[in-house]
Amino acid sequence: MNANEHDRRLEEAAAFALGALDAERIDDFREHLKDCKRCQDELRWLAPAVLALPEAIEQQTPPPALKVRLMEEVRADLAAEAESVPERKGFREWLAGVNLGGLTWKPLAGVAAVVLIVAAGIGYAIGNGGGNGNVHTWESEQPGGIQASVVREGDEGELRLTGLGQVERGKTLEAWVERGETVEPVKMLFKPDQEGNATTQIEDLEGVEAVMVTEEPAAGSKQPTSKPFVNVPLET
Amino acid sequence: MTPVRREKAERLADEELMPWIAKRDPEAFEVFYDRHGGAAYSLAYRILGERTGAEDCIQEAFISIWRSGARFDRTRGSVRSWTLSIVRNRAIDALRSKAGKAPKLTFDDDAILEARPAAEHTEAEVLSQETADEVRGAISQLPADQSKVIELAYFGGFSQSEIAAMLNVPLGTVKGRMRLGLEKIRGELAEGMA
Repeated sequence: MNANEHDRRLEEAAAFALGALDAERIDDFREHLKDCKRCQDELRWLAPAVLALPEAIEQQTPPPALKVRLMEEVRADLAAEAESVPERKGFREWLAGVNLGGLTWKPLAGVAAVVLIVAAGIGYAIGNGGGNGNVHTWESEQPGGIQASVVREGDEGELRLTGLGQVERGKTLEAWVERGETVEPVKMLFKPDQEGNATTQIEDLEGVEAVMVTEEPAAGSKQPTSKPFVNVPLET
Repeated sequence: MTPVRREKAERLADEELMPWIAKRDPEAFEVFYDRHGGAAYSLAYRILGERTGAEDCIQEAFISIWRSGARFDRTRGSVRSWTLSIVRNRAIDALRSKAGKAPKLTFDDDAILEARPAAEHTEAEVLSQETADEVRGAISQLPADQSKVIELAYFGGFSQSEIAAMLNVPLGTVKGRMRLGLEKIRGELAEGMA
């Protein structure tokens, strides 16, 4: 790599540190970073400047009512936990018991895949999971319906969705990973854009058998409160 | 795990609080909010520019932390940096969603947390808290074109290409301004620590 090329990379380090590197450049830069001590040093040097930015803004006092609402939700969570999904109960077993107006959880041969078209109010089960190397895809049977793919890189991955309807106010989408009899929420909640597309990152796909999506209250849920309307089986 | 008493929770370091939160201890969570809620709310308000949106953002971010406290990984950064990165990502997503753009939904701030060995986290934390005035001073002394691109990137959630288009300047100019601006802030911080 010549000096000019390296200067370009160093400028990208600043954008990367600020979270402003263009999406299509991020993977390339990360790859470069693995072997470039100079860029690693540059990032280490710049890190405190970026981390100090939120500390340097004008400080606001949050309204006391915000803490009251927050703690009410925390205590409501605790109160509800006793009545929520029993931890030792299998996820599929729990799903089988969820009342969804006659809909049932139907494990399909080899691969379990269920879709519930929430936006349309129509739900039906299909087995349409497909895998191709590190890209695992799924689509609803409804023409023009939801399409989902999980793009896997090692133990990390990205869930990409298209054909989504808009999420109603006070609701959000939450992704879940299924490992054996347990289901865990993915870190970030997300919503579709105006075109009905959405993506979210999945930090740990190790041992995951399926990635699912449900609609949840705006703050997200600890466990799914409805059947998933997207279910991408992963071939582990 | 027996619930931790508030007085005890107040004596715990952030990293010691998180296991209690992971065990669903409301007192530990309240102390955590008291410590970081102000900075988090200030950041959300700075990004979103209005109180209702900032409150919604904080409510969602902190409940998300409450429900996933066990996922904090101390090797990747301090609790405060982790918390503020969650708040920032959520606020930026809300901003982009309001503007009809695809949510960013990437952990860009994690990248910067990953960039440092764990041993450097505490130093950076102390540095950032003790020198807020210096950073404010450093930002205010930056040439307007440098502070503008940094603000648009960090508080606006815009990519360098979006900023270039917005300011009608070449992409290389935006990259250069970002780097120069950050280098100057970093230099001021280093001087403050000397």
